[in-house]
Amino acid sequence: MNRNVAIVGMAGIFPTCASLTEFGDKLFANESLIRPWGEAVALGKQVRSSVSGYTTLEEAGLSAQWSKSLPGYPDMYFDVRERIPYQYMATADIGSIWAMLSSMETVEMSGWQKKEVESERTGISIGSGGGGHSVLRPAWNSFFNEGKKSRNIGSHGVDRAMVYRDTANVACLLKTQGICESLGSACATGLSNIGYAYRMIRFGLQDRMLAGGVEGTSIETFVGFDAMSVLSRGYEPGKSSRPFSKDRNGFVCSFGGAVLALEELERAKARGANIIAVIDGYHNNADGDGDMFAPSYDGQKRLWRGLKAQVPGLKPDVVKAHGTSTPAGDSIELFSIASELGETGYHISAPKSQFGHMLGAAGAVELVASLLMLQRQTVSPCLNSEELSSEKEWVQEQEHWAGTMEPIAAFRDLLPTHAVKKEINQVVSLNYGFGGTNAAISISRYGA
Amino acid sequence: MTRQDVLDGIVRILKEVKTVDQEALKNISEDSDFIADLGLPSTEMINIIAKAEDEFQLEFDDDDVDALDSKVSETIDLVMRTQQKK
Repeated sequence: MNRNVAIVGMAGIFPTCASLTEFGDKLFANESLIRPWGEAVALGKQVRSSVSGYTTLEEAGLSAQWSKSLPGYPDMYFDVRERIPYQYMATADIGSIWAMLSSMETVEMSGWQKKEVESERTGISIGSGGGGHSVLRPAWNSFFNEGKKSRNIGSHGVDRAMVYRDTANVACLLKTQGICESLGSACATGLSNIGYAYRMIRFGLQDRMLAGGVEGTSIETFVGFDAMSVLSRGYEPGKSSRPFSKDRNGFVCSFGGAVLALEELERAKARGANIIAVIDGYHNNADGDGDMFAPSYDGQKRLWRGLKAQVPGLKPDVVKAHGTSTPAGDSIELFSIASELGETGYHISAPKSQFGHMLGAAGAVELVASLLMLQRQTVSPCLNSEELSSEKEWVQEQEHWAGTMEPIAAFRDLLPTHAVKKEINQVVSLNYGFGGTNAAISISRYGA
Repeated sequence: MTRQDVLDGIVRILKEVKTVDQEALKNISEDSDFIADLGLPSTEMINIIAKAEDEFQLEFDDDDVDALDSKVSETIDLVMRTQQKK
């Protein structure tokens, strides 16, 4: 049984944006959503980087009750706007709250009724990259360093930090009865969960899925990447994320989330749903080269071939790149895309240039950006890519390099520095992660 | 410290616990039940006990905590008993 799958809802938490509409407006107005982050700035010389795309508690309509006995430990978060009942806030960390808020909003957009949500045929698959660090750090400090009794951590140390906390909280809030799981694949997590949801519906196991990724604000996560010296450094905030540019020197660690509503196409049509896009195909794989971190030209080419096998005649108008702004990642990605699609006839969009790298949320938030490109018939830019290198990239100097010997500057026409209005019928969205995991999805306008 | 002092301290704790029925809290007495009368989820009981240790600057024995039920009077008993042991 191979069924077609529609996307009928989308919502998320986007830095500096109060709504999906504002998010789209800013993307296509070539704005950067990256700013100095007070929590990182306060660490002074302990960290290399201090900029981020982030959302404060206040901006998300939330507040926190901090523990009196465990410094820095949130006894509980509150929803100032009273969208989520207290009992569900008690079991949630920031990312889970964002997952719940996004899920409620995307269900509303989808038009699903209570009987459709509270169904065995409706499932949840929402993941995160990080591991509940902001809840666990003060808890572990209290227990291991200060010798306090375990009950000081309270009864919500586990549910607010467990791997699939985002899905678990959404499933409890919405009372869905279908599959209830999370996939983890580092920075491909958001797209992996959506791809998994697509397969659940395509293969007839579910009729509806809420799927996506969230990365709750966490200075611990930020510090982890800062320690690897992989974060952008030396630029003003809005210039920090600069995929494909000659002087790119690392990514901007950001936070946010998005959840999409997926539905079997015939059901969506039958109830007159607003179909945002249809999913043409999804493919994922692994590099298989034994390298935890380095991207693989061969792995990415195999990814494209897998997607092409599922989508005959694949001819995207836009490729939404992973485009992290790292020296190694961007060059290999550009060369693998051009190798598979040719050097003209499409544009490459790099939304991380505008809001940074949302880690486990990246694949979901960037698919929202892709859907907005379809809706608004506009390509979002590769911000800060005005200067492209005319020199060989490091990978082109490797002994076994089998790709193009053209420099990145030769691909100028693919990389718009500003938003471009044009007819867009099909978008391919790409995400990769540590461990050599690769994911690609193709979406099209309904009826195109 | 009297039993009323302890009850007042418990009210101070519960006023900050949003899962507690704040209307029902106005009528709390020693005979109240945290779960049945005040709407406290059972998973929150241990949080109230930990906060009580902090509020009254005491450390309860684990056996005593394990033996507690959800009656307010039992928590007051525990506080008074532990206070006397100090």
